Amino acid sequence: MFGNKECRILILGLDNAGKTTILNRLQNDSDEVMQTVPTIGFNVETLQYKNIKFQVWDLGGQTSIRPYWRCYYPNTDAIIFVVDSADVERLAIAKQELCAMLEEEELRESILLVFANKQDQKGALNASQISEALGLSNLRSRQWSIQETSATKGKGLFEGFDWLSTAILGGNTSA
Amino acid sequence: MSISSTINQITRNARAAVGQIGGGSDSRFFHNTSKKGETHELREELQSQNKDKKRDAVKKVIANMTVGKDVSMLFTDVVNCIQTANVELKKLVYLYIINYAKSNPDLALLAVNTFCKDANDANPLIRALAVRTMGCIRVDRIVEYLCEPLARALRDDDPYVRKTAAVCVAKLYDISPDMVEDRGFLDVLRDLICDSNPTVVANAVAALSEIQETSGQDVILITGSVLQKLLAALNECTEWGQVYILDALSRYEPADEVEAEGIVERVTPRLQHANSAVVMSAIKVVLGYMELCNPDVVRTLTRKLAPPLVTLLNSEPEIQYVALRNINLIVQKRPAILEHEIKVFFCKYNDPIYVKMEKLEIIIRLASDRNAEQVLLELKEYAQEVDVDFVRRAVRAIGRTAIKLERAAERCINVLLELIQTKVNYVVQEAIIVIKDIFRRYPNRYEQVIAALCENLETLDEPEAKASMIWIIGEYADRIENADELLDSFFLDSFLEETPQVQLQLLTATVKIFLKQPAETQALVQRVLNMATEGTDNPDLRDRGFIYWRLLSHSPQVARAVVLGEKPTIADDTFALEPALLDQLIHQLATLSSIYHKPPEAFVVRMAVPVGHVTGGVGEEYDDDLEYLEGEIGVIGAAKGPSKQAAGSGNGGGTGGEVDLLDLGGVDEAPPATTGGKDGGLDDILGGGGSNGGGTAGSSQANTQVDRPLVCTPEQGGGIGIRAALRQEGGGIFCDMTFQNTGPTPFQVLAIKFNVNTFGITPASPQIAFPAPVPQGGATNYVLPLTFAPSMVASGAPPSLQLQTAVKNMASGHVFYFAIPYDLSVLFAASGQTDRAGFIPAWKAIDDANEVTTLAGSLPPALSSPDAVVSRLGSRHVAFVARRPVPGTTQESLYLSAVTVTTPPVHFLVEITLQAGVASAKLAVKSQSQTLAPMACAAIEGLLRN
Repeated sequence: MFGNKECRILILGLDNAGKTTILNRLQNDSDEVMQTVPTIGFNVETLQYKNIKFQVWDLGGQTSIRPYWRCYYPNTDAIIFVVDSADVERLAIAKQELCAMLEEEELRESILLVFANKQDQKGALNASQISEALGLSNLRSRQWSIQETSATKGKGLFEGFDWLSTAILGGNTSA
Repeated sequence: MSISSTINQITRNARAAVGQIGGGSDSRFFHNTSKKGETHELREELQSQNKDKKRDAVKKVIANMTVGKDVSMLFTDVVNCIQTANVELKKLVYLYIINYAKSNPDLALLAVNTFCKDANDANPLIRALAVRTMGCIRVDRIVEYLCEPLARALRDDDPYVRKTAAVCVAKLYDISPDMVEDRGFLDVLRDLICDSNPTVVANAVAALSEIQETSGQDVILITGSVLQKLLAALNECTEWGQVYILDALSRYEPADEVEAEGIVERVTPRLQHANSAVVMSAIKVVLGYMELCNPDVVRTLTRKLAPPLVTLLNSEPEIQYVALRNINLIVQKRPAILEHEIKVFFCKYNDPIYVKMEKLEIIIRLASDRNAEQVLLELKEYAQEVDVDFVRRAVRAIGRTAIKLERAAERCINVLLELIQTKVNYVVQEAIIVIKDIFRRYPNRYEQVIAALCENLETLDEPEAKASMIWIIGEYADRIENADELLDSFFLDSFLEETPQVQLQLLTATVKIFLKQPAETQALVQRVLNMATEGTDNPDLRDRGFIYWRLLSHSPQVARAVVLGEKPTIADDTFALEPALLDQLIHQLATLSSIYHKPPEAFVVRMAVPVGHVTGGVGEEYDDDLEYLEGEIGVIGAAKGPSKQAAGSGNGGGTGGEVDLLDLGGVDEAPPATTGGKDGGLDDILGGGGSNGGGTAGSSQANTQVDRPLVCTPEQGGGIGIRAALRQEGGGIFCDMTFQNTGPTPFQVLAIKFNVNTFGITPASPQIAFPAPVPQGGATNYVLPLTFAPSMVASGAPPSLQLQTAVKNMASGHVFYFAIPYDLSVLFAASGQTDRAGFIPAWKAIDDANEVTTLAGSLPPALSSPDAVVSRLGSRHVAFVARRPVPGTTQESLYLSAVTVTTPPVHFLVEITLQAGVASAKLAVKSQSQTLAPMACAAIEGLLRN
């Protein structure tokens, strides 16, 4: 009954947060890190994880592309919001984008997973600091979680997806 | 790479792509492409996880796009399908993006990442596809991301990718030349000329050629090593690649004789190619390089060039035509090439007419003393075919051959005489025209044929033939015993009706006859001069008449020297090109230019500005525009004004500065002078002078009709006062006019024209000619018949009951403007009655908004009874239909109808309600024309009052 569960996930976040690297890492779990270039547009991959088929959309984070995120909102099960934990200066902008996005009617049902990425870098804030900076605790009526990750090292990603799959399946059964 | 060709390509690709994939069954996607709610359905299918469903959805979208339905709203949904391993699906999505990126430039950005990824794909086909698609998108914001992948693709390991990228550079140059130059792509292209793969070489050359054309800069720098590469690739690349390489070679200037001969040697094998484009381009190269080769080589090449040209004439007629147009140039440049091949240009009976005409042209160019006999036999045969145009051209060709080949002239004359014996009207006329030219070319040699020509005088009906015959009669008046009688009896009676061309010839011929036989022909010349100077309005004719007149009255000796002076010999230069232009066109062989026989600048709109102008600023362009405008105005002026006529007579007869005044060309296009002068002025009549003072006292006999208002005061009319009123009689409309002369000079002929007006009323004749001049203080009546012309209808303008009029006094040249007011009731036709049964439906059919009512009070006491009203209106063409008492009142309603005599007619339905014993009426008028109904209402009220 769960074998053909399909779900649609958006990976969003400011530019240079590590979205494409996360996607590459999820798809191809080797230690070699592929060099990425800024995504002008999108990447899409289908992943199979724990009986769930994830269709993962990695959207470019540049200011010029952010307005088009909304084209991808409909029917989204989950959002993975990636934050560069070392880029403290732009946390405010990240919060702004996140809040604006969560206001969207089309994303009302979507669950939220925040990746506090780039934990390997110096000066990276930890999960609770990021959570505070983004004001996650204020979120009401939304299922959410935050996960410390390091995409280049491959850390934390699958823990995040574990939560995601549980949340999705749980949501499914409770509904 | 124009937009339209891109679109064609897209459509073709789309059909091919949709067709291929499903093994032919995909035609189903083209059915049912217009369901409602389909967009939504398609959108869902596009988002489907099921690959087949998704693919089918994209196919449906493409099918819609191909049949011209706008599916651009699905842009994001289609673009989201782009990342797929399925090449077919990817191709379809790319196709979609090429088509709609222009309308969704922002969203097109979303595809960039995929393009960049695909440009790095392991599959070279996908790499090439990505680069090609990006090049086709032509959206600035995409272009900046194109450079990186393009630079990589130009150096790709796979030649397929490189050749695609080469063409892409040319496309990029079209959108953003700076970017191409900044990124050094031009250098890369030049490097690609030395590529190991011939197709890449050919495409690099093609791209550079295209850039050269758009930029006007010399971007293909052919050096020694490049040259070798080109020549090597020439043998290996595709046929169209060969064309590009050959065209590039034709632009190269070899350093010396040896190099030129070396290249020619490598190129000559292409002359045997099956593709005619390759052959033509090879011929172009060889012809160009021949200039440098030594005479022996030239002789050999001359021999080598003939067979391929002859072979081209075995292709389809369309290709033959193109070949013939090019051969026409080649024959002018190097007649030796085809001098022995004249036979292949003889027309086959089933050649299309355009091929025949071109062949004829080439036959004349190739005609020589050696083949004259043969050519004449052939031409004579053509002159007996059925196609009139071809026959005429063939007869002309015989004449041109005579002019070209002195030794064949006599035979030509004989052939022409034989043709004249056939008595086929157009053959005879054409023959006379060319014999006149032969006389010009070989004076005093073949006059014995004149007698034969004179037998056909009565059959001539074409102006050119008449003019030619008249010229002959005039020129050889001393050999024709009854020259004056011939002219008199055959032409002079109709002098005033002839075309200007014939009139001018008659004038000149009569003067010539007079100079040769003054005694007998004095009356004749007097008559003709009179007609020329007084009887016509053609300034050319009049001026020439006056010149002759003064010349003759000044001194007959001088007149003889001028009129009978020796004329320069003519040569046949019909369709011959200036040597400079010919050289230019030879360099353009195998292009449109060589078919039009015009340099590319003359017809290519988006042509590169010559180097040096490239950096010209806005100001310069502005100047160019101005010059262009001035040029245009100049042209218009020349076409309209009399200057053209003057120019026409200056060129007459091709005699240049000769005072012979012989005029055989050009004049017949000159517009008749009567309308020429005032056309311009009428466009901007501002409706001045609508005054209609009732009773200015006049003393002349013409002033008896007081109902004609004064429409033009003598001050306005430069001494001519005009009263005018419109009147209908027997279904026709007339303008009764009274002209009063208060000025010192009598006038007799006036030109009159109306501005466009509501009903398209226009004078039946543009001229008012009084039987006798109107003297000072005199006045005269004139009835001007009017007609209706659709071209004179002022569409869009609010209706007006005024005729804006321009009158030109032909004696003084003074033009003045005024307006003639008229009453709509003048236009009511006698047949305006609607039958009783039809009236009510017709009334109801007209919208109430089109109903106009008015209360006409204090009518004349005579109209107090309904019968009186009916009879009054009936006499003015407002026909009675029915009457009925209004229930419960003492009122009675009358129903009437009227229709105008205009084309198209306008119908009016009228209801008049009268109260017994009260001299007032309630009027209601309905018409399909909302703007005319109030006017009709006012007109009918006017009828009741007067």
